[in-house]
Amino acid sequence: MKIKKSMKLVLLMLIMTLGLTACGTKETPKEEAVEEKQVVLAGRRHLAPGEEDAYYCSSILYVWEPLVRQGENGEPEPALAESWEMSKDGKEWTFNLRKNVKFHDGEDFNADSVIANLDRMKKEVRQSSYYPMDIDSHYPDLKAYEKIDDNTIKLVFNEAKPTQLYRMVNFGSAIYSPKNFNEEGNFNGFAIGTGPFKIKENVKDDFVVIEKNEDYWGEKAKVEEIKIKNIPDVDTRYAALKAGEIHGTLDLDSLTPALAEELKKDDKFDLATAKSTIVKFLVLNGSKAPFDDVRLKQAVSMALDRQDIVDTVYFGYAEPTTNLLNYSTPFYKEIKVNENMEEAKKLANEVLKGERVSVDYYISGADVTQKTEAEMIAPLLAEIGIDVNIKPMEVSAMREEMKAGNYGIGRERQGLSNGEPSTIFGRFMLTSGDHNQNYSLGYSNEKVNELMEKASKESDVKKLGEIYDEIQLISTETLPVIPLFNDMNIMGHTKDLKNYKAQIYGLDLPNIEWAK
Amino acid sequence: MKEYIIEKVKSIFIVLVGISLLSFLLGVVSPGDPAELSLSKYGYSPTPQEIEARRVEMGLDKPIHIQYINWVKNILKGDFGKSFSTKENVTDMIIRKAPVTFKLAMYSIVITSVFGISLGVIAGINKNKPIDNLIKLITNILFSLPTFWLALLFILIFSEKLGILPTSGDGGFKYMIMPAVSLSLITMSTTAMVMRSSMIQEFGKQYYTFAKAKGISKYDLYIKNVLPNAILPVLTILGNFFGSILGGSAVVETIFALSGIGSYAVESVFSKDFPYLQAYVLLTGLAFVLVTSLVDILIIIINPKIRLKGDIYE
Repeated sequence: MKIKKSMKLVLLMLIMTLGLTACGTKETPKEEAVEEKQVVLAGRRHLAPGEEDAYYCSSILYVWEPLVRQGENGEPEPALAESWEMSKDGKEWTFNLRKNVKFHDGEDFNADSVIANLDRMKKEVRQSSYYPMDIDSHYPDLKAYEKIDDNTIKLVFNEAKPTQLYRMVNFGSAIYSPKNFNEEGNFNGFAIGTGPFKIKENVKDDFVVIEKNEDYWGEKAKVEEIKIKNIPDVDTRYAALKAGEIHGTLDLDSLTPALAEELKKDDKFDLATAKSTIVKFLVLNGSKAPFDDVRLKQAVSMALDRQDIVDTVYFGYAEPTTNLLNYSTPFYKEIKVNENMEEAKKLANEVLKGERVSVDYYISGADVTQKTEAEMIAPLLAEIGIDVNIKPMEVSAMREEMKAGNYGIGRERQGLSNGEPSTIFGRFMLTSGDHNQNYSLGYSNEKVNELMEKASKESDVKKLGEIYDEIQLISTETLPVIPLFNDMNIMGHTKDLKNYKAQIYGLDLPNIEWAK
Repeated sequence: MKEYIIEKVKSIFIVLVGISLLSFLLGVVSPGDPAELSLSKYGYSPTPQEIEARRVEMGLDKPIHIQYINWVKNILKGDFGKSFSTKENVTDMIIRKAPVTFKLAMYSIVITSVFGISLGVIAGINKNKPIDNLIKLITNILFSLPTFWLALLFILIFSEKLGILPTSGDGGFKYMIMPAVSLSLITMSTTAMVMRSSMIQEFGKQYYTFAKAKGISKYDLYIKNVLPNAILPVLTILGNFFGSILGGSAVVETIFALSGIGSYAVESVFSKDFPYLQAYVLLTGLAFVLVTSLVDILIIIINPKIRLKGDIYE
């Protein structure tokens, strides 16, 4: 009897709580149901950080357009600039601008708008959640820029810049309506670009809604409206997709390889993959023994079984490499991955002379895959006489130890901000390179220093490509770092959507459409 | 009472100075250069020139004590500085995000109080009977489950499999059920356990035996006589729970994509967004201190006998 009474009380409590908590809250119908025509996607971060951001929103929303965009294979493609010419000495670039293009606010796009955007960029380095808007980084050695006529502009550089187009892709040449910012160059409202989508609503940290630009100069977007939600946790994002709350995921790290494999089992969903700009690698402390001997670095590289790690840890969503340069740039040279345990043992033995060494192997504690990866690598290194102590650490603490040279092996990754590879080569392979110092790589190669110097003066893209090929070959032989694999962008979507095509950075948003 | 409140205000002030100093120093001594981290995004690493320019812009080139004094001066004016990562005013960010966290904390504290106290009372009254054993078993299990795990389990069951609750976002009551429940289960279990043992302790006292012998109704006995005495230790822990709920909300907000002050605190730890972290630590510390002080005062109001024991305030 008493039990029965207690149960009644529990029931009463439940009703009370529901009643209490329901008080003072109201349903938001907008959030309740996905509007019929609205596509809902989600990513790990808010893609329109707003007025404080140099770009207001990411290029992947297709709200603003650049003069030059990145093509499917990383090559520069015409966007707001229809065509271009480089002077023979490589110091002058003339851009012919697209005609009859209007910004979302009705303003005409022309040479004046490009000049206004370059003026804004020149004023100061602007911070962004994406890349800093820095004229010296996108237009190094820029001497002057000028309007030739309403549809032509010219850039003049102090040095030959044959690969300038690569630096200008996407974020490098973002164009907004000149009325979109005030005198200081700060935004005065939603981003106003020329793109196939316009911003309709932006709720900071929560979601952004973009709608089709009916007056777009090119092929118009296939869907009317897209809501892009910010769901930071990858498991929640996956659950939201499975529960039908969102139609797809986008942006970097939108799904883990393991979740992608899970999603594949459900025939209501599909995956879209593309090359990513990230390369993952091991850094070895070359500033002291035992890794100050290149033969031991080669031994480590040869002892690995990259494909096994890719298949086991990354479920095939990565590509083994020994090239420092990421595979998303057209300058990437395909070089066969050389792995050979017998050869590795021989090389290691030449250095260690039968002795065993024990080193610390630092990984990021926040990334569980790095631990599994390290556990697969450890026994292979043990075979060549290197015993490792795997130490998960906070990334900043790990980098401080690396800079101080207090480590043996570390796991790192590097993204490629544009298709021009000289920055990456310089940072890792030049004696003065900042990553060479930051990771205590102890790398010094006269031939590389010479080739980089030669490249900086070369005005012919083909010859430049040959120099870069040579540097890549040197990098795989002398190993400033031990590349493991090139990463992949993985996005999931429901089959209600078609043409869901992943890109090197982002998604082909204007072309996605309803399957029915 | 007046002296008590003055004493409380004094201690709050000292605690806040301590919190501000600690949060500031922790930010300074933790590894990593905020200038570099604020520029490093998703694999992109800034150049040394970019980092140096950013250091000057952020005022990190100044001596530490100057940085601290400047910071204190500004927060007294309500200015927590600009976020290193988003460039937005931290005060604006907090104003925008705090209501979400506050709403979540209120839901959680309601669940904790209503269910925790009620289950504790039922268990206490039915000591060692099947219902008591059942409640003890349930609370022990819930107490041992990590919040993030519960949160993910709820999403799997109620969103992915059953499709009855939304996975994430902030849209009203339905959206708050899973975050609030997962956040409050541990505190609810503790509340129930404390309430139970507190009730049982009261049963051993003379007034209880006397009241029971008088044959008064069970409602009068338990609710009017035992509960006001037994609830005091529970009120104290509920005050503490408000603080732990604010702290614990960081993980829950991230999982359920609630853009409260906690979820960004997690992000700001990784990006070393000091201005935000300092504001977060200071404000949650302030909330914690205020709530526990209010609870102390509330206890005196509910049970004036406390004053007789602590006659220093009389």
